[in-house]
Amino acid sequence: MIAAGVGQEAARFGSGAVVRRIEDRTLVLGQGQFTDDVTMPGQTWLAFLRSDRAHARILSIDADAAREAPGVLAVITGADLVAAGLKPIPTAPPYKRPGGAPFTVPLRRALAHEVVRFVGEAVVAVVADSREAARAAAALVWVDYEDLPAVAGIEQALLPGAPAVWPDVPDNRAAESQHGDAAATEAAFAAAAHRVQLHIVNQRVAPVTMEPRSVMAFMDEGRLTLRLSSQMPTAVRAAVADSIPGRTLDNVRVVVGDVGGGFGMKAGVYPEDIVLAHAALQLNRPVKWQADRVEDFTAAVHGRGQASDAELALDANGKVLALRVRSFAGVGAYPSNTSIMIPLLIGPWVSTSIYDIQTIHLKLTAVLTNNTPTGAYRGAGRPEAIYIIERLLDAAAREMGIDGAELRRRNMIRPEQMPYKNPMAQVYDCGQFEQVLDQGLALADWQGFEARRAESKARGKLRGRGIATFLEWTGGNALTETVTVNVTGDGFVEVTCATMPMGQGIATSYVQLAHDTFGVPLERIRILMGDTDRANGFGSAGSRSLFTAGGAVKVASEKTVDEGKQLAAQALEAPAADIEYRAGRFNVAGTDLGIGLFELAAKQSGGRFTVSAGATAQAPSWPNGCHITEVEVDPDTGDVQVVAYASVNDIGRVVSPVIVKGQVEGGAVQGIGQALCEAVRYDAETAQMVSASFMDYALPRVDGFKGFKTAFDQSVPCLTNVLGTKGVGELGTIGATPAVVNAVVDAVAQAGQGRAAEQLQMPLTAEVVWRALRGQYPVRAFPPSA
Amino acid sequence: MTATTRPLNFTLNGQAISTQAEPATLLIDLLRSTLGLTGTHQGCDTTQCGCCTVLLDGQSVKSCSMLAVQATGRSVTTVEGLAGFGRTPDGTLHPVQEAFSACHGLQCGFCTPGMMMAATCLLQKNTKPTEAEIEQALEGNLCRCTGYVHIVDAVKQAAAVMNGGAR
Repeated sequence: MIAAGVGQEAARFGSGAVVRRIEDRTLVLGQGQFTDDVTMPGQTWLAFLRSDRAHARILSIDADAAREAPGVLAVITGADLVAAGLKPIPTAPPYKRPGGAPFTVPLRRALAHEVVRFVGEAVVAVVADSREAARAAAALVWVDYEDLPAVAGIEQALLPGAPAVWPDVPDNRAAESQHGDAAATEAAFAAAAHRVQLHIVNQRVAPVTMEPRSVMAFMDEGRLTLRLSSQMPTAVRAAVADSIPGRTLDNVRVVVGDVGGGFGMKAGVYPEDIVLAHAALQLNRPVKWQADRVEDFTAAVHGRGQASDAELALDANGKVLALRVRSFAGVGAYPSNTSIMIPLLIGPWVSTSIYDIQTIHLKLTAVLTNNTPTGAYRGAGRPEAIYIIERLLDAAAREMGIDGAELRRRNMIRPEQMPYKNPMAQVYDCGQFEQVLDQGLALADWQGFEARRAESKARGKLRGRGIATFLEWTGGNALTETVTVNVTGDGFVEVTCATMPMGQGIATSYVQLAHDTFGVPLERIRILMGDTDRANGFGSAGSRSLFTAGGAVKVASEKTVDEGKQLAAQALEAPAADIEYRAGRFNVAGTDLGIGLFELAAKQSGGRFTVSAGATAQAPSWPNGCHITEVEVDPDTGDVQVVAYASVNDIGRVVSPVIVKGQVEGGAVQGIGQALCEAVRYDAETAQMVSASFMDYALPRVDGFKGFKTAFDQSVPCLTNVLGTKGVGELGTIGATPAVVNAVVDAVAQAGQGRAAEQLQMPLTAEVVWRALRGQYPVRAFPPSA
Repeated sequence: MTATTRPLNFTLNGQAISTQAEPATLLIDLLRSTLGLTGTHQGCDTTQCGCCTVLLDGQSVKSCSMLAVQATGRSVTTVEGLAGFGRTPDGTLHPVQEAFSACHGLQCGFCTPGMMMAATCLLQKNTKPTEAEIEQALEGNLCRCTGYVHIVDAVKQAAAVMNGGAR
């Protein structure tokens, strides 16, 4: 007798069930395999000498002392890489400069050649037989620089007569896009009953994975192998093969072990990856490098970094008539396709969010600066866009004397408008935004706020309340994934896929999905990831993994069972149509005749059977939420405490309830970090980064995040993928920042500052808030004439 | 063994260790490189992140900021020793490890060993910590994934279990 059928088993362990993460045991035992944990026979270590100037010409490099230092095996310069025929890292975004001139930016080489353009740019690599020897020798290299005038940020880049980061771009404007209808927008503003305008700075922040970037390169029987901490091994393989002469996709392999956090920062190739590869090829020995924290602050990508003038036009009833935004994004010294797309295209896709706004005019410019290049950071464009519209709506509500939730409600896209095409031609398949809002208001006890405000006041604290209702685009527009399911005679279902673990627990979700179909114990299912010899694809970014590759796991698992029925029919000498499968066993219907899944695999040639299959989502998914926060401000110190955080999230169907809660709350703390404490700062004259350590860059710490109430509305499954799920990884980060800032603005406005409080800019440190309470606000980030 | 190398005897995860180290070698490098215990992680170079936290005679310390030779004659416990190094063939986890998993107190797992060692130090001294005491004990440990909420939950659960409460 079968005591537990698939149905019961799935209810306990399958999708939707609360299970322990399969990743945890290894990690809590300290047995994870992060890149730096592996040391090979003949191991060598590499250290970089990095530019201490923001902009300078390299006149000469004297590395003789380093070459002669104990233990040194090689010293590599940018000129060496050019001589060896290494190609620059390609960058060709499909954008134009203002006026239609072609996009052109500095060629980025793996090591700086002739000119350095930001503090932290790698200039020389030293390989030695120990980490200490490599670092000591790198310090002996003497680089003779001729300083060039540097551009410290967006403000400096846009000044008339500003120095040029790249001679071919004299105005530092690398790319520009306009979206929408300027004339219709102007007409809407002319006819509007209410207009609000805000200057909004979305400061540069650092993603900060706790595991710094880490790379090992070695030769394996003539094949170049990189083992590194990455979200996108396939892209790294392609870039390395493209750059290094004689290397092609078939003789480069990229493997990835445990990844200590990604957040977009570990998407794509870095110059250091190519240097490590080159060094391993030259020395024919394993070469390893792990960034120290200063290196990751200065040379891993940053996120956000955008300043905008944003305006909203509304009619007398609070219906939004038009949105107008003028933005400048400081993309650093070496733009990439990603860093241009994020502000110029991806952000704009969600600029109108969940609101029925069809008239927009967006003008967006990517600006070169002598700063670290920007790239993807959790949300990548959506946080910037959502922050703008949510700040504007609160400002409008204050201007009109309407409750902020009510103003949002009046503008929400209604369910009967689905599918809804926004003015950026993005189509939302589904969404019950008002339903999510109502649940959020109930969870946060919206109506009870004034009593809590009075109670805080009695304790001498200023209480504020903030809300963000929003959606986001997920999937990276890379919507197809294929996985391979291998049923082995020794008793495992192995699923091989090209998406990547980076701490989010994706393997657990895949195991749960495979369990839905196979019904075998979770420990009988293995997920294999992170090896370009096994699987290739886009990788994991943009909250895409579950609804693309997870869909492929479901489809491939079902096809595997179908294939198994055919094989079982042969083994049992029965018609395939009579074969039933459940919980690891094929049976001939109505008989005791049957064979186990793994027993069947053992009977096959090679002791296994294998099915590859894929799934394609028809469209991006559009997760959405209502995040409501309450803060308490100390009027004497300006200190801000987040005292309540209620969120209702529509991520469609939930596969792993524990994981998605962790994603939303952990993501929210990252968003709170941007709102309250995090900022990458450069000295205005020298463009030296002055926030390159944990003593200078304020990361959220353990205290101060209480009162999370997190709920999921699963009644609105995504209609465009087989699972009905929507991406979850970035939702909390996107919602938290505007919800917290709106709460602080509310507190400061209520404390007598009124609409002046709209001038507050992140991060809302104690000093910033203390000054605001006394009528002192920051200056604009770019001149109004820019 | 070079001219400057010093012999070094200490107790590591309950076992006597006789090794040697350069005077300038940091404890973390001795653990990770010489002794191959890679569960202790390096996340910064300014004693700020706490990923390298180990116990020294029961007190949580950051092994990136201590010389290996300073461990002479003392007892060091790393994450590998938390469950009783080599002494739990049944695979039983320490209550702190168990609670971090049960409460979703980890995501990428890089800060986790240091976070658990700091929590263990607290619970060995204070079996019924308040939330404020937990926060104070973990103030020197950074986590970028979890938002800390579930880490605090895990420490509370571990405390309850270590006090004889139900798992």
